[in-house]
Amino acid sequence: MLFRLAIRNISRNRRRSIMTASLVAMGSLALLLFGAFTTYIFAGIETGLVQRGGHLTVYRQGYFLFGPGNPAAYGIDDHEALIRSFRDDPVLKDMINVITPTQALVGIAGNFSSGTSASKTFFGIGLVGAAREQMRQWNDYGSGQPYVPDDRLSDPNASRGVIGRGVARMLGLCAALKVPDCPAPEPKQQVISTAPPLDPALADLAREDLGSQPAANSGPQIQLLSATADGAPNIVSLDVAGVDTQPVKELDDNYVAMPLTLAQQLVYGRGEHKVTGIVLQLHHTAQVPAARARLLQLIAERHLPLEVRDYRELNPFFVQVVGLFSLIFLFLALIMVVIVLFAVVNTMTMNVLERTAEIGTVRAMGVRRASVRRLFLAEGAVLGALGATLGVVAAFILIAVINHSGLRWTPPGNTDAIPFQLAWPTRPILLLGTWLGLVLVATLATLPPANRAAKSRIVDALRHV
Amino acid sequence: MSEIATSPVVRLDHVARVYHTGSVSVPAIRDISLEIRPRVFCVIVGPSGSGKTTLLNMIGCIDVPDSGRVEVRGEDVLRLTDNALADFRARTIGYVFQSFNLIPVLSAYENVEYPLLLLNVPADDRRRRTMAMLEAVGLADQAKQRPNELSGGQKQRVAIARALVKEPALVLADEPTANLDSTTGTAITDLMRQMQESFHTSFIFSTHDPRLMAQADQTFSIRDGMLV
Repeated sequence: MLFRLAIRNISRNRRRSIMTASLVAMGSLALLLFGAFTTYIFAGIETGLVQRGGHLTVYRQGYFLFGPGNPAAYGIDDHEALIRSFRDDPVLKDMINVITPTQALVGIAGNFSSGTSASKTFFGIGLVGAAREQMRQWNDYGSGQPYVPDDRLSDPNASRGVIGRGVARMLGLCAALKVPDCPAPEPKQQVISTAPPLDPALADLAREDLGSQPAANSGPQIQLLSATADGAPNIVSLDVAGVDTQPVKELDDNYVAMPLTLAQQLVYGRGEHKVTGIVLQLHHTAQVPAARARLLQLIAERHLPLEVRDYRELNPFFVQVVGLFSLIFLFLALIMVVIVLFAVVNTMTMNVLERTAEIGTVRAMGVRRASVRRLFLAEGAVLGALGATLGVVAAFILIAVINHSGLRWTPPGNTDAIPFQLAWPTRPILLLGTWLGLVLVATLATLPPANRAAKSRIVDALRHV
Repeated sequence: MSEIATSPVVRLDHVARVYHTGSVSVPAIRDISLEIRPRVFCVIVGPSGSGKTTLLNMIGCIDVPDSGRVEVRGEDVLRLTDNALADFRARTIGYVFQSFNLIPVLSAYENVEYPLLLLNVPADDRRRRTMAMLEAVGLADQAKQRPNELSGGQKQRVAIARALVKEPALVLADEPTANLDSTTGTAITDLMRQMQESFHTSFIFSTHDPRLMAQADQTFSIRDGMLV
């Protein structure tokens, strides 16, 4: 009876109730659309990060803070046995999608071919090609770009790799690699150096290394110089198979990816080939806490000098994006709450005023004050539920329209434009949270007028015209 | 005959009520004491502003006196809490208002059924009693009509049915024929008298209507807040 009466009461002044419900619906729609947008952004960025760097990385202790300056000093001993033990662990094996070693390195890259003499510092990464390809296919949220096979870092060719677009530009390789929109240096600037000048003896060594390469190699080739773990200079040649544009310019200007074996050869020479990281890509991001806990347990049990970092720690940019969007969402929610609050308070105050004599009548008939209060609260809740439900329906329709409209954009962290696809706002915290939140706000907004109605004196209420 | 059946249904003892408007105090009821017998057609008469409605509000437990004692069916109503008083009204007192005061979003049937819902009467019993009451006031075929679809006389019949459906000890009516034409007013007066006799309940009216006065078993005249 309570809700039947509430529904009939809010339909008395249809125009007013529709306006109020529409404002609640607008609030619901705005929150769900923005929630869907942020979900899509988070999923897109996370997918890119996990495809490139996995969920968890095991490093030698201290690497996270100090290792990037001298990766060679933070090699993990006997990494193959360690990877086997992780892969075969009964707890981890069901969670792991890919487990693969990586080797980070820094050095100087030079292009000394065809009379060019250009060099620059680089940040390199040694990868297992097959594992990289498997990792690129991870798409837990269905929000990643369609997988396109890339064999430029194939395992059989141990000297082939890719470089950042910025590296290609600075080493004068854009024309050779057919990179569009990549300016070549002026002829007078043919001799380029953004790195410290190469020792003449090392440059000669590089030219010798260049001269020793097979003649069949048709692509451009660069020389990579780095210090080995023992501190001796070492140099290798890399066949540049193409450009892999990085989302951040600083990284793009320094990025060189190569097969793991080549990176190890450069860093460790004839010594023991170690790795700087063991990357684990899990089937689902939700498994990160459990997998991390298990890894730490195994490391502690074996007293290994290792540490575990997740993709959020390794990519503070992602955490900042999540924080920024969450803050914007909260701000938007606050605005919506205020709008709904004022709209419902106004409507219900009018309703109470118009029905003062009626309140007196039912109170005279024996209705308790609390029941009067409950009736008005039920009306607020019905208004809120009606508006919030309309907003949910409108949000789903609008998302379907947007997703089929063919819009494209370049999200943060991406290099190419992708289809603009909003995520369906089906996460319970978003969908139910928005719906229940707005119903609650509408109900609470009714409290002051409902209290006024409940507290009115019967004889005064009956006299009200 | 039991004591409750013979003792007064309403007893007022030195009741007084003063209204305060700003710095002005207006005495509405001055030291009134009266007893109303059970199962009577009782009329309170007096000119406008004499205090009839205030007196009726005291008897109906919707207003409280500044001094004195109000007993309804032997219950000292001034000692009841707000909730207990609401429950007491729901069980014991029916109201018929001058402006009918039906709930506009409810049909005639639902308006009559409403007091039974407050008393948690089971659905079957509720249906039977509501329909019986609508038949008694001659509106069984108008059960589904909303108040705005009824004439003034029909609305007042629904109001009478609503007041009587819970079989209260007391029905209060504040000038129930004031908003009706003379023919309808006479019909309503006859209906109320007939219902009072059928239900063995007490009806207390405030009125100027000589037709109602003519029907009265007990009459109180009030002037300037005092019985005369």
